[in-house]
Amino acid sequence: MNAQPQAETYESFVEEIPAGTAKVDIRKLDFFYGKTQALYGISTGFADKQITALIGPSGCGKSTLLRTLNRIYALYPGQRAEGEILFDGRNILTGAEDLAALRARIGMVFQKPTPFPMSIYDNVAYGVRLYERLNKADLDARVEESLRRAALWDEVKDKLNISGLGLSGGQQQRLCVARGVAVRPEVLLLDEPASALDPISTAKLEETLLELKSDHTIVIVTHNLGQAARISDYTGFMYLGRLIEFTSTEQLFTNPRAKRTQDYVTGRFG
Amino acid sequence: MASNLLIARRKIGNSIFVVFCWVGAAIALTFLALILASLVTKGLGGMDLKIFTMDTPAPGSPGGLRNAILGSIMMCALAMVLAVIVGVLAGTWLAEFAGESLYGKVVRFVNDVLLSAPSILIGLFVYTILVRPFHGFSGIAGAVALALLAVPVVTRTTEDVMKLQPAALREAGVALGSPLASTIRRILWRASSTGILTGGLLAFARISGETAPLLFTALNNQFFSWNMTKPTANLPTVIFNYALSAYDDWQRLAWAGAALIAFAVLFVNIIARTLARESRRP
Repeated sequence: MNAQPQAETYESFVEEIPAGTAKVDIRKLDFFYGKTQALYGISTGFADKQITALIGPSGCGKSTLLRTLNRIYALYPGQRAEGEILFDGRNILTGAEDLAALRARIGMVFQKPTPFPMSIYDNVAYGVRLYERLNKADLDARVEESLRRAALWDEVKDKLNISGLGLSGGQQQRLCVARGVAVRPEVLLLDEPASALDPISTAKLEETLLELKSDHTIVIVTHNLGQAARISDYTGFMYLGRLIEFTSTEQLFTNPRAKRTQDYVTGRFG
Repeated sequence: MASNLLIARRKIGNSIFVVFCWVGAAIALTFLALILASLVTKGLGGMDLKIFTMDTPAPGSPGGLRNAILGSIMMCALAMVLAVIVGVLAGTWLAEFAGESLYGKVVRFVNDVLLSAPSILIGLFVYTILVRPFHGFSGIAGAVALALLAVPVVTRTTEDVMKLQPAALREAGVALGSPLASTIRRILWRASSTGILTGGLLAFARISGETAPLLFTALNNQFFSWNMTKPTANLPTVIFNYALSAYDDWQRLAWAGAALIAFAVLFVNIIARTLARESRRP
C-alpha cells in the first residue's frame, strides 16, 4: 500500500499580516519525521509583539510547526525541515546558525511543566548565567522581575531556595515561563502550556501572556479554542499538516472562510 | 454449582501460590539472617581496637587488620574514582548520543557481557597487562581490576537512569539556549544523581568483597604501606588466607574482616538511601 494518500485539495485561506510587522516569516516550509512528511508548504508570518495562536485537531502539525521555529527538532536525527524561516530577515534553517544562541532569542515553554532539579532561584537564573555575567544584585533583580512577570513572585518570594520540583503544577508552569522570559528572548513559543493546569492557574497564565505581549512575540499552540479567542491577535487553523486558514482571531472565530475551519471552531469535528 | 466449584478451585490455587511466595521469601531471608548472625557472633568476637591499630600478625602473636583495611580502602577508592569517571561518561554517551547506532549497540552488548564476566578473568587480564610487563604485583593493578568490575555496573545504571529522564527536560534545557553538553552536566546529571549514586554504591558493594581479581594483581602484604606501586594488603585476600589456616587467632581475624566488609557495605547503603531521600524531599 502506498502511504501517500491520494492528493486531496485543501482549500486554504492564509491572509498576510500587515507588511513590515512580521518578526518571523515562514516560506514554503515542509517538515519530515524521517520519511513521514508532517508539514506541507506552510507559508505565514508571526507579527511582532502580538500573540498568534495555532489551533487544530491533534496530530495536525501545530507542535511540529512550533518546534521548527527554534530548531529544537535538530536534537533528533532524522527530523528535517525544508523551506525558509526568516527570523528578523535571516533564514534560520541554513546550517550557519549557532543553535544555542538562536534558542536564547527564541524561548519555549512546554506542555508539561519541566522545572530543573534545582532551586526556584537557580531555575530562573540558569539561562541568564549562560549568556550574561551579572553581579549578585543584578541577577537577584532579574530573577525577581522574571518571577513577577510570570505572576509567581508573591507565591515564592520567601522560598526562592527550595527546589522548583516542590511547587504545584500551575506554579511550576509559571516558573517555566519566568525561566523563559528571564533570558529576554524576542519570541516566546508555548506548546499547550495550560493543558495540565486547573482553570485558576490557566487564567493567571493567560494574564501573564497578555502582559508579556508588550515585549515579546508570542506563538501559542492550544487545544482550548476559548483560550485562543481570549488572548490571541492572530489565529492559524491547521489540518493534516497544512495551514488551512490564517487571519485575525476575530475574523477566524466569527467569520471563518474555510469550511474545515468553520466545522472545527463550531465543534463539528475535532 | 459449577461456578462455585470454579471459585473454590481458584481460591485454593491462589492460597497455594501465596504460600509458595511466602516460603521462597522465608528461605531467602533465613539464609541472609544466618549469614548475618554468624558474622555478628563470630566477627564481633574478634573485633577489638587492635583490629584497627595493628597489622596482620604471625600465628600466635597479637595483631589486627590495619594494613589490610588501609589497602582495601585505597584500592576501592581508586577503583571507584576510575569506574565512576569512565562509567558515567560511557553511560551518558549510550543514553544521549549512541541511539540505535551499530557502535552503540556493540558497546551496550559488550558492557552487558562484562557485567557478568567472572571476576577471575578480569584478574588474569589485568595480570597480563599491568603485572607481568612491570614485573611486580601492585595496588594500582588491583585497583584497575576492581575498576573493570565496577565500570559495567556504573555504565549500565547511568544509562538506565538517564533514559528515564523525560525528553522534555532535555528539550527545556536546550530551548533556553543551553548547549547540549551543559544541559547534560547541569540538568540531566543532577536529575539523575540519585540513580547514578545508587549505581556507584552497587558497584562498590560488588567490588568490596572481591578476592579473585586481587589474587593476581595486588597479591597481599604483611606490612603497613601507603605505596600502591607495590603488593598491597587487602581484606578479601587476608580473609581467604586466614580463614583457611589452622590457627584459631587467624580464623578470628578472618571473621572480623568479613564482618567489617559486611558492615561497611551496609553503612554505605544506609548513607546512600538517606541521601536519596533527602534529595527527593522538595
